[in-house]
Amino acid sequence: MSDNSIITRSIPALAITGAVGLVVAQYFIWVYAPVEATMGILQKIFYFHLPLAWWGLISFFVVFCASLVFLISKNPFMDRLSQSAAEVGLLFSGLALATGTLWARAAWNIWWTWDPRLSTTLVMWFIYAGYLVLRQSIDNPHKMRAVCAVLGVVAFLNVPLVFLSARMWRSIHPAVFGSRGGGLEPEMMTTVLVCIAAWGILTAGILFYRVRQLDLKDRIRSLFIF
Amino acid sequence: MNIRFFCLARKDLKLIFSGGSGIIQPVLLGLILVFVFSLSTPIGEEVSAQAAASIFWLATSFALILVFNTLYSMEETNQARTGLLLSPMPLQLVWLSKAFTGMILLLLAQLFFFPATIVFLGQETIAGWWNLLGVIILVDWGLVAVGSLLGAVSQGHAARDSLLSVVIFPLLIPLLLAGIRMGAYLLGGTGDENLSAWAGIAFSFGAVFTGAAIILFPFVYNEY
Repeated sequence: MSDNSIITRSIPALAITGAVGLVVAQYFIWVYAPVEATMGILQKIFYFHLPLAWWGLISFFVVFCASLVFLISKNPFMDRLSQSAAEVGLLFSGLALATGTLWARAAWNIWWTWDPRLSTTLVMWFIYAGYLVLRQSIDNPHKMRAVCAVLGVVAFLNVPLVFLSARMWRSIHPAVFGSRGGGLEPEMMTTVLVCIAAWGILTAGILFYRVRQLDLKDRIRSLFIF
Repeated sequence: MNIRFFCLARKDLKLIFSGGSGIIQPVLLGLILVFVFSLSTPIGEEVSAQAAASIFWLATSFALILVFNTLYSMEETNQARTGLLLSPMPLQLVWLSKAFTGMILLLLAQLFFFPATIVFLGQETIAGWWNLLGVIILVDWGLVAVGSLLGAVSQGHAARDSLLSVVIFPLLIPLLLAGIRMGAYLLGGTGDENLSAWAGIAFSFGAVFTGAAIILFPFVYNEY
């Protein structure tokens, strides 16, 4: 079975499972998980913020892996996968930043602070926004694919350095999954895990759907270009 | 190998300086930046060492974009790039020679930026000249490694300056943070016990991107 047929067949299942998962996650967020004593209802933002941040970063890692494989194999599927992952990662990390600023305002009384995780997410957002701009800017598709694959690789190589440098600058972000289990109640932790799983399935669904869409776009274009 | 490398670097330097313009554009842009940022401080107030170091590295980053656009645009006329691709040498030598030439041009530009930082931003207490020179060279290494790798990306593109800025600036952030912290310390700012750690970040950045460039540059520069 080819890459495309696997993807095409899995899209409906992922979309339905993701939608059901998100509905179940709403129950966990609003009914099962307790209201946090200090922040109150605003703390619920966290159940959207964390999965979005995680899956955004994982999408960027997918860009790195797909770019690396593309440089070795020249398989156009990998290029489409890296573009899709960059778009999904950009959207999710943008939403994570937006929800993060709302959280920061309520919890720390500031909209933004120089924190390793916040700063790393913002820097990655800038890098992958540049990556998508680059994809639109180069006319030669062969050159565009190769150059973007190179950028996809070097962008992710930069992550540890960005994180380290931002941590050395200063940090006030809470540790959710610390070495001793973090600072969450068991109900809250369960809710977070349900949300992460639901968003993960939805991420895979969106990613595959976009890959399929890009594949169709390329096929339509190749009908007219000889 | 050495002869080819020096031939390429000499060719670039000759073309840049024989045209008469040299590095006037990046130097002017950097000086304007330093001057404009000096206006952000009210009269009578001092610019902090960290702010001065930030402005210095910002000017250097803009100069980097212009320097590498110039270096890679020189081969656009008469399809000279094809000549380089056909020459019997590894493509990595092109990256290395451009990085070397870029380093020279960047250091020359900084020769103007540094006095401007002292004059316009009032930084007169230098903690150690040799340390400062070492920091500048260490950070410049990382800058030219990235600049030379991605400078070829925008080759032949109409809006190459803006395109390169959008792609390169976010990548440089950890290096710029290291440069700012070390620069602030050496410009007589507050003590930073993590100075060697920041030097480690700058060194790691240079090493990672040099290694990446050696492997990845042929993908960027090849003919498609």
